[in-house]
Amino acid sequence: MVLRLWKKAVKMSTREKRMFTVFTLMYTVLIFWTSYSLELAFSSATAAQGFGSTSFLIALGASIFLTLLYAWIIVARNRRTWATLKCIGYTNGNINSIVLGHIFFTTLVGFLITIETLFHYMAIVGYLQAADTSMNHLVINLPIISLLPVLITVGVFACVQFIGYFLASSKITKVRPMLALKRVGE
Amino acid sequence: MPVAKDTMIEVIDVNKEYRRSGAIIRALVDINLTIKAGDFVIIQGPTGCGKSTLLNVMSGLDLPDSGKIIFDGENIARATEDRLSKLRRQKVGFVFQDFNLIKTLTAIENIEALLWPTVLSSKEIENRAIAALRDVGMLGRKDHFPVEMSGGEKQRVALARAIVSKPRVVFGDEVSGNLDPDSETQIMQLLKKINEEYETTMIVVTHRDSVAKYGNKIVRMSKGAIQSIK
Repeated sequence: MVLRLWKKAVKMSTREKRMFTVFTLMYTVLIFWTSYSLELAFSSATAAQGFGSTSFLIALGASIFLTLLYAWIIVARNRRTWATLKCIGYTNGNINSIVLGHIFFTTLVGFLITIETLFHYMAIVGYLQAADTSMNHLVINLPIISLLPVLITVGVFACVQFIGYFLASSKITKVRPMLALKRVGE
Repeated sequence: MPVAKDTMIEVIDVNKEYRRSGAIIRALVDINLTIKAGDFVIIQGPTGCGKSTLLNVMSGLDLPDSGKIIFDGENIARATEDRLSKLRRQKVGFVFQDFNLIKTLTAIENIEALLWPTVLSSKEIENRAIAALRDVGMLGRKDHFPVEMSGGEKQRVALARAIVSKPRVVFGDEVSGNLDPDSETQIMQLLKKINEEYETTMIVVTHRDSVAKYGNKIVRMSKGAIQSIK
């Protein structure tokens, strides 16, 4: 039953094309940025470590902000939908399952795009660093992002998504089913 | 000899107050009402007379301050939210003035949505949704989104959603409020047909006199109290 609600949430979120695309791309940028920052923070160079740590903290703050914003938008834009679902017999838990599906699917797609982007990034940087070309000096300091920062980023983003989920969950509990009976614009 | 109908909803000494800007508004005052299974009840009255509040408390959307609401033998006046959710899913259907279809779902998905949190198989859910769409004459539009439908068509899909779980009672809140006279006639005839074919109890709140003729019991309200029952 929960699996069915998640599947339907995926369908509903992909049909909200504009919001889905914008947030997926923002997550992609943030996940890439976080992995990149962590790679720098783990490097042996002291200057890179300092820059990487600061950059990681900024990325973390941005991802928490974005997640909370996304959760808030999902609840606020669809208050009438949640109220209608409560009217027709959905429990708070049922609606939370749908919201969880929305939030995690968007992040998952962002993560998959990041993985794809990282493959291309590493191929290009690796090639240009090895090749004796005029562009060599431009890429010589760019790090090859290893697996550990990517895995840590996944863990960090999963935790951050739960923060968003709990925010959405608490807001959904407050949506009263009677809202569905109010006229549009009332 | 006619068979006596079972009591579906019994409202006993129900009162409900709201506080707005410091003032106390008595939305329901000592309401007593008995609705039999299979009744088609029209609740009429001017804006602010308490008819929507009465619908809310009878359907378990809101709780009264005092009194009892006996719904199909169970007092729901002090029921928990989870219990009320279950009751609404199993025994109640809703038709709203603004249709309240989910815009990212097609007509058939909007109807199926009611059954998603149940243990029914996906095939069974689809079959029931198709049957409900057929009942309201909208099977040909099953893959259309709400934005592609007229007001009357949306309301027919909303009606299909209300009856897909074979509820004991369908509550309608100004169901024809956003419809032209032709669409109003179609929707009210459909409600009447469902009422007669499936013996579903219908409770419709309206301020329109044109709707009243479909009911077999007319409840008129004024200032939170029942004025007359015919």
